[in-house]
Parts: sequence; C-alpha cells; structure tokens
Amino acid sequence: MNTLGSNTEGRLEHLHTDFTHWEIGPYHPGLPGPLRLRVTLDGEIIVRLEAETGYVHRGLEKNFESRNWIQGLPYADRVDPEAAVFGEIAYCSAVEEICGIEIPGRAAYVRMILSELTRISSHFRSFVALADAVGADTFKHYVLRDREKILDLFELITGGRFALNFMRFGGVAEDVTEGFLERVFDACELVKMRIKEYNDLFSFNHALLARTAGTGVVPAERAVAQGLTGPSVRASGRAFDVRKVHPYLGYSDIDFEVPVGKGEFGRTGDAHDRYLVRLREVSQSIRIIKQVSESIPDGPYCSMKRDLRFKVPAGEHYFRVEGPRGLLGCHVVSDGGDHPLRVSFRTPSHAALGILPEVAVGARLEDLPVILASLDISVSEVDR
Amino acid sequence: MTWYEIWMEIFGFTSAIPEWALASLVLASVFCLVVFPASAAIALVERKLGADLQARIGPNRAGKFGLLQPFADILKMMQKEPTNAQSWREEFWLAILTVALYSTAAVLPLGSLTLLVNSDMSAFLPFWAFMILALGMMFLGYNQDSVPGWFSGIRVAAQTLSGAFPALVAMLCAGILSGGYRWTDFAAHQGAGPFSWALFSNPFMFLAFVVFTISGMVILAVHPLDSCFSIDIRGGIAAGFYGRRLGFFRLGRFYAFFLWAVMAVVIFCGGWNIPEFAKSAVEGDGRWIGVLELVVVTSKSLILMISTFALGRVIPGLRADQVTDLTWKVLGPLSLVALIGCALWVGGFGA
Repeated sequence: MNTLGSNTEGRLEHLHTDFTHWEIGPYHPGLPGPLRLRVTLDGEIIVRLEAETGYVHRGLEKNFESRNWIQGLPYADRVDPEAAVFGEIAYCSAVEEICGIEIPGRAAYVRMILSELTRISSHFRSFVALADAVGADTFKHYVLRDREKILDLFELITGGRFALNFMRFGGVAEDVTEGFLERVFDACELVKMRIKEYNDLFSFNHALLARTAGTGVVPAERAVAQGLTGPSVRASGRAFDVRKVHPYLGYSDIDFEVPVGKGEFGRTGDAHDRYLVRLREVSQSIRIIKQVSESIPDGPYCSMKRDLRFKVPAGEHYFRVEGPRGLLGCHVVSDGGDHPLRVSFRTPSHAALGILPEVAVGARLEDLPVILASLDISVSEVDR
Repeated sequence: MTWYEIWMEIFGFTSAIPEWALASLVLASVFCLVVFPASAAIALVERKLGADLQARIGPNRAGKFGLLQPFADILKMMQKEPTNAQSWREEFWLAILTVALYSTAAVLPLGSLTLLVNSDMSAFLPFWAFMILALGMMFLGYNQDSVPGWFSGIRVAAQTLSGAFPALVAMLCAGILSGGYRWTDFAAHQGAGPFSWALFSNPFMFLAFVVFTISGMVILAVHPLDSCFSIDIRGGIAAGFYGRRLGFFRLGRFYAFFLWAVMAVVIFCGGWNIPEFAKSAVEGDGRWIGVLELVVVTSKSLILMISTFALGRVIPGLRADQVTDLTWKVLGPLSLVALIGCALWVGGFGA
C-alpha cells in the first residue's frame, strides 16, 4: 500500500474494521466539478482512491476540426473557463508560429497583462475552494469580493468576464480602452493591500495550519514523475516555470521571481505550501503587471486583418504557456486548409488528478476536499 | 415568589387549577414567547452580522431591511413537500432526540417566572438531554443509510462525549463557588453587575468559563467545531432533511444552543439578577421582576450566542480528530486545573 502523504503514524494496527466503500460524486460540494471518486476507507482513513472522469466531456478538441481557424478561438477559451485567456494564447501562438506571424509589441504586452490578471483571478478561485474545504466563510467572501475587481477589468476591455475571446492571430481583438491601464494599476494596489489582510485573517491562522500543514504532501520526485507543473510542482520545491524556462511574449524582459515551497509550517509540498506559493505568485503577478503597464509600447495591436477564410500552411507546432494551474500546451496540426487538422491540449489538471490517488491514500476523509482544493484541479481541463 | 404563585397572580387562577396544567401553560408560553421569537431574531441577526463581517449586504428582500426573512424562511420550508419518504427508524430517532431536547424546557433557567424545576441536580439535567441528543443524532445518521449519515452520526457522538467531560468539570467549579447545583444557588451567589459575576470572581472561574464555552461549542457542533457537518460528508445528517423536517431539526439545534447559552449565563455571567434600581422601578412587583429577569437572562444569552457565531464565521473549521484532541488533551486538563485551583481558592480565600 502506498502511504504517500500518510498521517497514519501511531494508528493501532489491531483495531481493524471493515473497509467502507463510498462513491463520491459526480456532484458533491467538496469536488472541483463533475467527477466521481471511488474511495475505500478504513475508519476515516483513505486506503484507496480511484478517479473517474468524463462527466463534462464536450468533444472540445474534435470541435476545432470542423470549424475554420478563427472559429476555434471560443473553443480554446473553454479548455479552462476559469483561466480562458491561456487556452487562447496557446492556440493563437501555435498558429502564429506555423504561419510565421510576428505579433506587435503592444499586443504581446496586452496578452501579458491579461495573462497575469487571469492568474490572479484563478488563484483567487483556488483560495475560495480551499476556504470552502476548511469552512473559512469570511475569507472566502473577501476573496470573491476582490476577484470581482479583476473580472470588472476583463469586462472593461473585452466585454466578457470569463470567456474573453479576445486573442486574434497576430495580436488582440482591440486596443486597450482609455483609462484601462490606470484601473489595472489601481486594482493591483488594492490586491497588494488585500494580501496583507488575507495573511492576517487566514494564511497563518492556527486552525488553517492544523488542516493544511503536512496534509497532502507531494514529494518533488513524485511530482516530476507524474508530470505535475505550475504552483503544485513549485510547492514541492522545483522552480519550474515556463515563463522562465521557455520565455514567450515578453516575459524575458520582465523582472520577477518564481516562489517555491519550503515546508515552512509542515512538510515541503504540502497543501499549505501550495496555498502559499499561489499567494506569493499573486504578488509576483502584480509585479509583472506593473512593469508591463509602465513600459507598454505604442503601435498597432494586431498585425493582420481578420479573415474567416484564413489558411494556415501545412505544418505543426506545439506551444506552451504557464497557466495558473501549470503548463498548458497546445499542439496544432495543419494540412494547409482553412480549418485545423488536429488541435490537442496538454493540461496541468490532468497530471494533478493523476497524482490524487497517491496523495490521498493515508489521509483522512476530511482532508480530501483540502487536498483537492490545494491541487487546484479544473475538471473542465481534464475532460475537454 | 415561586413560579406557581406568580402565574396564579398573573391570571388570577384559583388553587383549583392543577399544577400540571399551569406548568403546561408555562412551557407553551416559554416556547411561543421566548424560544421561537429568539430563534427568529438570532437567525436574522446572525445572517446580517455575518454578512456585515464578510462585506456583503445579507438578507434584504423580505420586509424592511430583510426583517421578515425568518418568516419567509419558515414559509418556504413549510411549503416544501418531501420527495421521498423517510424510514420509520429515522422518524423514531428524530422523535427521541426532539422529546429529550425539549423536555429540558422544564429546567430552562430563565428566571423565577419560568423556573419549573429547581432541584439539587438541576444543572446536570441538560447534560442528560445533550447525551440523548448525541445518541439520537448518531442513530439518526446511522439510519439515513448513507455514508455521510454514518460518519456524521459517529462524529457527533465522539464530539459530544469528548466535550461533555470538560464542560461538566467546569460546571463543578461553579458549584464549589456557589455551594450547590440549583439554578437559584448560582444566581444567588452572583449580582447584576459584571464585577459580581462568578466569571470574574477568581482566575480559575474565568478559565472554567472559557472551557465551558468551548466545550459547549464542541457538544453542539457549532462552527468551527462542527466536523460532523463538514463539506466532505456534504453537510452530514442535516443534508438528509428538507422542508418542514429541516425547519424542525434546525429549530431543535437552535434550542440546544440557546439552552447551553442560558446555562453559561446563569452559571458564570450573573444569572438572572437585575439591578436594584430596576427592582425599585417596578416597586418590587414579583410579576414584573419575573419579566425583567427573563429579559435579562435572554438578552445575555443571545449576546453570548451572537459572539460565538461571529467567532465561528472567521475561523476555519477543525477536523473531527482535532476537535476531540482539543477536548481530551487541552480542555480536559484545563478544566481539572480550574477545578483544583477553584477549590484551593475557595478554601483559602472563601467564595
């Protein structure tokens, strides 16, 4: 039996009871989305867990094949609706690479601003899930309140709050509206101030530490072996970030740090480390946004006109971006026609769900929602 | 004046009215005039206060400022029809725990007006009800025929048993101080002003009050010590109820919490004592004194409940094993320290 993440020390082995089998889901408040978990319990200790997916399978990748290139954009949005812009950027960038399209500097910076705002919004959503899992109602509402400010910014520039559909081949759909950058700046200042509030109220609360420190530990070697990326692998101590390792857009010109987990309150790679890494990433995103907002170049926001009959030369490309949950890759194959031959995505949540059965074994049933929230799994990303 | 004399005077009954009939009237009055309005008020205040803490507006649609929200909730719950029948076993255990719980109204210490039973064991009787409540909840959960129900039931039982020990020991401290376990003993030993409350009489009594308060939250599974209703078991036993039964169940849980708050107030926070000027204002009229006592003890209890709710809103919830660890490993020893300390203090300095 794998005891990764176990907290069974001191358990009396002779007190054996019959195992309880419980099928959690597909609809359950502790789950991140429609998902079925087959759990075998010894008392309240999880001894086996299997995850069954497919409840929100939309044939999303197949849909690209029957649409022309630009019609695929809204589908890319829906790979992960909580962080829509990353699917769009990965898809557009892959197509641009095949076509050899250069995007204007202003467009790259707008993409960076939207990426980092989305990262903050998505991390806030993961905090809400964690707050729900441990029953921290007030913190949850504070985070939701502040997340609205970010969504307001999306609405201001794109007209949408979640599915933005704002990227275009060669740039972005529109230039930033008047006063947008100032409002982004104000929102960053607000979030910066709120982080202190979050720390006072939640981050180092003893009850939260009791629930998250030492819970759901993912050792670095297991994280790498399972293909875990993003804050989850960084919490395990590996500073892997696509923005640093394979810089894209203008990230190579920006000064920012990659926070990693150090096991400050429990063990490296535990649920609290994952939370802290995300919280520190929010600070880094603010740092990036400020630099980008201050140095955004003038000029066009898109290098090509919209053309529904746009054709992509035969070829293929795989483009990866650093999404809020980890490495999001998009593999695009073209046969030279006006619609894709194949589009597929490599999503970070798939790996996170893959490691769940290992992490959950040995944990208590009450820890399961905490582990799920800390791994920040998007079921939409998993099923596609 | 005893409750019997006061009520005879209020209604002008003759002594031909049997005591049991008058006791029934008192109990009905307690529920209709105190428990139900208090539950509606506290439900609204808790939601409004919680919303304010969380930068939200809270209920504001039913009536002016949402004041009629509790009635809207009741109406909604009463209109909901059950979609699947509950088993007779569930009905049975719900009835058992409800009867056990509401039977404590006879010892509910709301002042001289409603103090029906005032025996040497009065203060221990609610614990009996809490134990039956735990037993009933455990079997109720077990008979819900679902894994969340089982876990919820077991967690309720574990929490109640672990919380009862420190709560009882903390109460013994108050008994040492006041020299008995009648509600009137506790009240007689304290005064109306905060400095004459048992809570501030010595450091060990303050410790006993803290232990009693937290243990009460454990026994009654008040957030953040409510692992038996946590998200992993999708709300536990409560999730098995809807409509009228849910309303009934919630009212029962409110009543249990109210009972605990009244106990804490009577034992530690001055009981139902009212200031001298208030007594002179009503010219020593036993009926008005009884009403004022009722208002004083209810108000203090509601303030204690709201404070607890506010605390629960901001603190993350603990796991079941962490809750029982807290009671057995922290509250239990602390209650014993309070007991020994209080005994030595009373022996050395007097009550």
